[in-house]
Amino acid sequence: MLKILFQFSCLLLCISAHAQRDTVIQISATGGLQYSQKRIVVKPNTRLTLVFQNKDDMAHNLVVTRPNSRLRVVEFALALGDKGAQKHYIPAIDDVLAHTTSVEPGNSDSITVKLAEGGYPFVCTFPGHGSIMYGIIYATKDVKRLPAPDQDINIPNPTRMQEAAHRGHHPTVSGHPFPMKLPAVYRTFMPDCGPAAIAVGLPGPNGGQSYVFDAGECRIRYAWSGGFVDNTEQWEGKGQLLTKVVGDIYFRDTGGFPWRVGNAVPKAQFKGYRLVNRYPEFWYVINGVEVHELVKPLPAGRGLIRTFTFSPTKQSLSFINKPQPGIRLQSSLGRFQREILTLPPGTRQVILKMMYDV
Amino acid sequence: MFALLILSSFLFAATPADTISDYYEVETILTPAGLVAETGGLSFLPDGRMAACFHRGEIMLYNPKTKVWKLFADGLHDPLGVVAVSNRELLVIQRPELTRLTDTNGDGVADLYETVTDQYGMSGNYHEFAFGPVRDAKGNLYISLNTGSNGAGIRDEVRGQYEPLGRQGRMYACVPYRGWVLQITPDGKVKPFASGFRSPNGIGFDAKGRLFVTDNQGDWLGTSKLYHVKEGKFYGHPASLVWRPGFPSVDPLTLPVRTLDSLRTVESIAFPHESMAHSPTQVVFDNTGGKFGPFTGQMFVGDMDYAHLLRILPDEVNGQIQGACIPFFSKAGSNGVAMRIGNNRLAFGPDGSLYLGQTDHGWLGSKGIQRIRYKGGVPLDIMAMKLTHTGFTLTFTQPLDEATAREITNYKLRSYYYEYHQAYGSPQMDMQSVSVSDVEVSADRRTVLLRLETIKPNRIYELTLGNLAAGNGQKKLMNHLICYTLNKLVE
Repeated sequence: MLKILFQFSCLLLCISAHAQRDTVIQISATGGLQYSQKRIVVKPNTRLTLVFQNKDDMAHNLVVTRPNSRLRVVEFALALGDKGAQKHYIPAIDDVLAHTTSVEPGNSDSITVKLAEGGYPFVCTFPGHGSIMYGIIYATKDVKRLPAPDQDINIPNPTRMQEAAHRGHHPTVSGHPFPMKLPAVYRTFMPDCGPAAIAVGLPGPNGGQSYVFDAGECRIRYAWSGGFVDNTEQWEGKGQLLTKVVGDIYFRDTGGFPWRVGNAVPKAQFKGYRLVNRYPEFWYVINGVEVHELVKPLPAGRGLIRTFTFSPTKQSLSFINKPQPGIRLQSSLGRFQREILTLPPGTRQVILKMMYDV
Repeated sequence: MFALLILSSFLFAATPADTISDYYEVETILTPAGLVAETGGLSFLPDGRMAACFHRGEIMLYNPKTKVWKLFADGLHDPLGVVAVSNRELLVIQRPELTRLTDTNGDGVADLYETVTDQYGMSGNYHEFAFGPVRDAKGNLYISLNTGSNGAGIRDEVRGQYEPLGRQGRMYACVPYRGWVLQITPDGKVKPFASGFRSPNGIGFDAKGRLFVTDNQGDWLGTSKLYHVKEGKFYGHPASLVWRPGFPSVDPLTLPVRTLDSLRTVESIAFPHESMAHSPTQVVFDNTGGKFGPFTGQMFVGDMDYAHLLRILPDEVNGQIQGACIPFFSKAGSNGVAMRIGNNRLAFGPDGSLYLGQTDHGWLGSKGIQRIRYKGGVPLDIMAMKLTHTGFTLTFTQPLDEATAREITNYKLRSYYYEYHQAYGSPQMDMQSVSVSDVEVSADRRTVLLRLETIKPNRIYELTLGNLAAGNGQKKLMNHLICYTLNKLVE
């Protein structure tokens, strides 16, 4: 008997050791656009299977996204328009890591995803659901590092949102001998950017807005709202780990360097920046034309105001915009023809307003 | 028992300990609350304030008179060196670039961050630190670039050309000029200056304006060392060769060691692992004109793991620099503040004290800033060690007591070499004891001439000194171990 017990406990041990890397979790849609679990914690490199059961009275899906990419995935899903339903509201962008099909009430579907260290949002991308019906999977070794659930900006909680807005008026622990004050600049390793990245946090309501400027390519790579960055892991140890985005990425420039001088795709050379009331005004040279770019937040809502100033040139200047759902671009000069804004000859300054419309 | 106590206290009073802390004292500089003082650089402004940069991107100015700190700039990416140009302008190296910081409106805070150069690659690997700058008399700037480490990978997006042939090995150079020293001329031209470095976290000049760089024990470095760096030379760590103009399209690690050995210029002075250094840092020379004691004009080098510095005793043999290293401020007495480890950066202040910027940065070390101040007096120590046709001369800071100086058993010598190979570090190879055949003391009793039975090139000579003394036994020898790197015999 003892021997059998021993063998049995060995078997159990084997199962639990194996289970650390291979986890199955049940999650369901309940009434009121809610997932039954909003915060799932697993170890890094877990092969996680989510079994999604729809217990609601309407159809839903479940999409796991790259870190900080929930907003963008929702926006691209919305942009599918008429074609959304047949595509299960799944946009074809690489921010989507895994997804179920559309699951009718009473049905279920499952997905399996392997997650390296990080925070991975999951969301229902049915039109109108994405702003309410979401949650987060943390793949972490260090559970103690996670924010308290009532302060976690990655899970829906209307009360917490109000508290966070209120807290924003008090200086928080900055990790420096001075309080963190926006605008602020960090040159650091950022995700989804070249290694010479500059993170900029701008003041504004609800945690403000932020963007990453790639000093290697001299262009904005993405922008987010709801916070700035978390350097904790980057600062620790030897500096291999990336600084984390805090908030929701609503814009990614996937089109490469946007400016053309004449017809050429120029190679931009970074020259530095000047702080103007703490806002960095970037300076770079493209085909002999000096460009200064100052970025400010829209006074209300998500969006950036980019002011470009040029040295005199006889060459024509044009800006290529790769359209993106939810993002509207408005120029102080000239007009966009399809995706190209050609500036009138002799232009010395242009203001591009990038607005995120919901 | 009581008698013994009396006796020992009498003896103690009669022969004071005479340690280095009778001549120098250490003071800890208070840093501001909230600052994580992983110090990356120190430099003094013309007005006497000190600029210091820290791992989390702050540059702060410290007034030694008022002891007040003020923020000058922030948001930099792991700055690891700073040089003051004027009271309003600093040059600072950070991971992605060499930057000029200027306070253009005079409010005490930098508002202009100009890129002096970013003409080198970044793979995103944590070990690709950038060090420097230092400025020579002609206004050229020099920076040194660490190789990457296979302790971690590289990013999907890199800056600069990616070269897979440089990605091999323990420490790698898969993007341009990793493992190089770059020169930036006053008109802004960037010149790849010298190659073959692994982890060159120390760059500086000697009193004659010659450029020196330290490098860290590891693959291809049997021990840590100090190079005299000249344009166009290759110093031995192969990864950087892929960026040498005209170098064939091969993985340098596939070349025979013999070939690599024939390409390289060896170090001027090896820092034997364990006894002298683990991880050498900044090089500075004593430009204080005596305010820092008797070692004016000599170079000092810091170390991450030891609570001592190294003092460099160069020797010029057939036009090449080789020579000795000896600890400084080791075995300090029980009096005073202890020197911490992690002495990453050294800078002489206007009062002649030597400031120590400390860091750990994920390795062994400490955080903060200390300074060493000279109190006066002359410690008994070695001022110079020179090679002769038959042995060495040792010159001391003051006349020696003749009897002990003449005693041949007070000079124990052995020699060995470190292997040049791909493996990490090297044992001390072919250890041989070296017999001293004759000791001669000069008329002024400051110099001792040692004649050796045999003397061979390409070896390190480790000399252990007995209890030499001066002033009729009042002055004790501060350091008993000195290591001479003998690359070449006197022709």
